[in-house]
Amino acid sequence: MTTEELTNLKADKSVDARGTSCPGPLLAAKKAMGEINSGQILEILSADEGTKKDIPKWATKKKHNYLGTLEESGYFKIYVKKG
Amino acid sequence: MSIPITWQPIITNITLSNILITKNFSIMEENKKMCMVLFSGSIDKLTAAGVILSGAVADDMDVDIYVLLQGARAFRKDIADDPKKLNMAENVELKEEFLKSLDNLKVKTWLEFFREAKSLANVKIHICGLAGKVWGADKVSDFVDITDDIVGIGECITAAQDSDVHLFI
Repeated sequence: MTTEELTNLKADKSVDARGTSCPGPLLAAKKAMGEINSGQILEILSADEGTKKDIPKWATKKKHNYLGTLEESGYFKIYVKKG
Repeated sequence: MSIPITWQPIITNITLSNILITKNFSIMEENKKMCMVLFSGSIDKLTAAGVILSGAVADDMDVDIYVLLQGARAFRKDIADDPKKLNMAENVELKEEFLKSLDNLKVKTWLEFFREAKSLANVKIHICGLAGKVWGADKVSDFVDITDDIVGIGECITAAQDSDVHLFI
């Protein structure tokens, strides 16, 4: 998705994992994914650099749909649609 | 070769590689298995084990942890959550710096990693019977409450043979 599309995206659930380091954001994403339905969108906020690669790979492997990442000041937002 | 439809019940419940064919013919993937042999009882390696365990759990793996010699000491309930009683495996002089840095980064303690992993997935913690005796602990109740059982090495070897990923820490 384009940056504009991601910016306008409305997530069904958002988890703020900015206070944690790896593997905190990944586990937060796993837990949150268990609380939404197939087709819904999860937003993960993280300031952990490794997570930027980790979550897209995890999402794809778990048959979810990684939509993209938005860079913010000091953190980023990762969007995943549940498969 | 196509299989006549009347033969289909014969092949139910047969595990083929990682695919389980159930009686109603729906196909589901079995979880991958990890076997972690945890020899170390040092706080830095236990922390690393906790991070790896978390990754495995996020990946929906079933994990069997076999706690051997030094590891068994760390799992004693009077030791497990007391960092003063656990040493570093490397850079021993940096222990305080290491712990302070983990705290600043809001990283869980090794025991919290293990607890969380058990709450999220099929994680079993087995203590080696010999190792327990070495440290004066021979009952499950002598170890932290996330311990499942005390086993012999044969079970560890079998689990390693049956696993997709083996780790020795």
